[in-house]
Amino acid sequence: MKIVKVENVSKVYIRKYLCKVQKKVALKGLNLEIAEKQVFGLLGLNGSGKTTTIKLLLGLLFPNKGNLFIFDKKIPNLEIRKKIGYLPEASYFFKYLTAKELLFFYAELSSLTGKEKQKRVDWVLEFVELKEAEKVRLADFSKGMLQRIAMAQALLHNPELLFLDEPTGGLDPVGIKKMRELILRLRDERKTVFFSSHFINEVEKVCNYVGILHKGELKKTLEVPGLNGRLEDIFIQTISE
Amino acid sequence: MRKLCVIAYYTAIESIRNKVFYINLLFALIVIGSSVIFSQISGEVAGRVIMDVSLGAIELFALLIAIFGVTRLVVQEIENKTISVVLSKPIKRSVYLLGKYIGISGIVMLNILIMFMGMLILLFIRGEASGFHSLVLAVSFIYLKMLLIMAIGLFFSLVTSSSLTTITLTFLVWVLGHLTNEINFLSEKMAAPLSSFLIKGIYYIIPNFQYFNFKDFLECSFLFSKTNIFFITIYGVTYSTILIYFSMLLFSRREI
Repeated sequence: MKIVKVENVSKVYIRKYLCKVQKKVALKGLNLEIAEKQVFGLLGLNGSGKTTTIKLLLGLLFPNKGNLFIFDKKIPNLEIRKKIGYLPEASYFFKYLTAKELLFFYAELSSLTGKEKQKRVDWVLEFVELKEAEKVRLADFSKGMLQRIAMAQALLHNPELLFLDEPTGGLDPVGIKKMRELILRLRDERKTVFFSSHFINEVEKVCNYVGILHKGELKKTLEVPGLNGRLEDIFIQTISE
Repeated sequence: MRKLCVIAYYTAIESIRNKVFYINLLFALIVIGSSVIFSQISGEVAGRVIMDVSLGAIELFALLIAIFGVTRLVVQEIENKTISVVLSKPIKRSVYLLGKYIGISGIVMLNILIMFMGMLILLFIRGEASGFHSLVLAVSFIYLKMLLIMAIGLFFSLVTSSSLTTITLTFLVWVLGHLTNEINFLSEKMAAPLSSFLIKGIYYIIPNFQYFNFKDFLECSFLFSKTNIFFITIYGVTYSTILIYFSMLLFSRREI
């Protein structure tokens, strides 16, 4: 069953500087489908349209053309967001809140209340290994810890579908390993994960399927297990064509 | 409703932990405290001097918190991207915006209450504690003025894309809003019909902040009539509601 469908979506950013209008094409007629329980990696260079695709699917941006569907419901849709978790490209949070306060805040927004809220917050803190830091303000968190708290908030309401935008971006090798382990645990739990990155190795290690996005166009979709470590060559060849 | 309260509560918590809140409050209390020095050279009107300086300080420092707080609401949250995670949750954009507005309103109210308490303690120590009813009214209308300026700031923050522009425009409206009578006078004296029309337009669009200035007329008890209070309250609330409604409309189509 396809739970994410992107149909002929185009997105143009328009920036106005006084009398000057600048247009930048981010996506050109993108078509994409993701099946249930897949870990799908969207691979592309910086500026290829990966974050734009995720933001369109979340309803944070609006397409100029085309339609997007999640669980067969047209986006934007408030009900669908209950089934979605989102880890942003850069983890900016309310720095004066502690880790636990932040998670309580997002739990409330995700309609979790009472004992369930407490249970889920404790569970995600254990899951991302931040239980000891629950009373520490986010201003005192390292980049790796921020990325893990970002993952924690994305998992809080036990979503069926996860959007992870560059989850390993800016992390040190230990942070990357921890993040990879978290994603692999999600894969083992049969979650559907939409994962964007420009790190070929990471995509190869965690994804079942990969899409190569270049200059706003989806060039190829491949099944990762059959590639036998040739993804880098295929990627370079595809974007050079 | 629950989500609205949650947004408001966490906005207030976040703001109250910001050092700016305490620095602003500290300066305000220093200014209020310094009114004693001015009162020393004021002879029989010492109490009045304390009231005037303190009420002026309350308005000025509440204005700073209101404008900077409301700018942080949208522009800075978009700039630092904290907004994208919040809006990926099942929450309506209008609820988010209103919750933020209520949260900052709460912080401004707390700020005003602490400053007001400081002023009352000072008046009590100096044995000038009279006209409490008028003072409460004056401070209440300062707060209503803040609610309106915050709604204006919120609207500008969704029209523009920079904090500086939002602050500048909001402050400009604040200044013009205290000069509406002069603007009206100017429009009547303009010879050119187009200029007169445009200035008259500004006169009608800009809210008249002088209506809320009860603090300038503490001795004129006739101004504190129930009818007067009622109509000025309705004026402020209606103006703020319309601006918040338009802000919600703009925010519903804003790309994050």
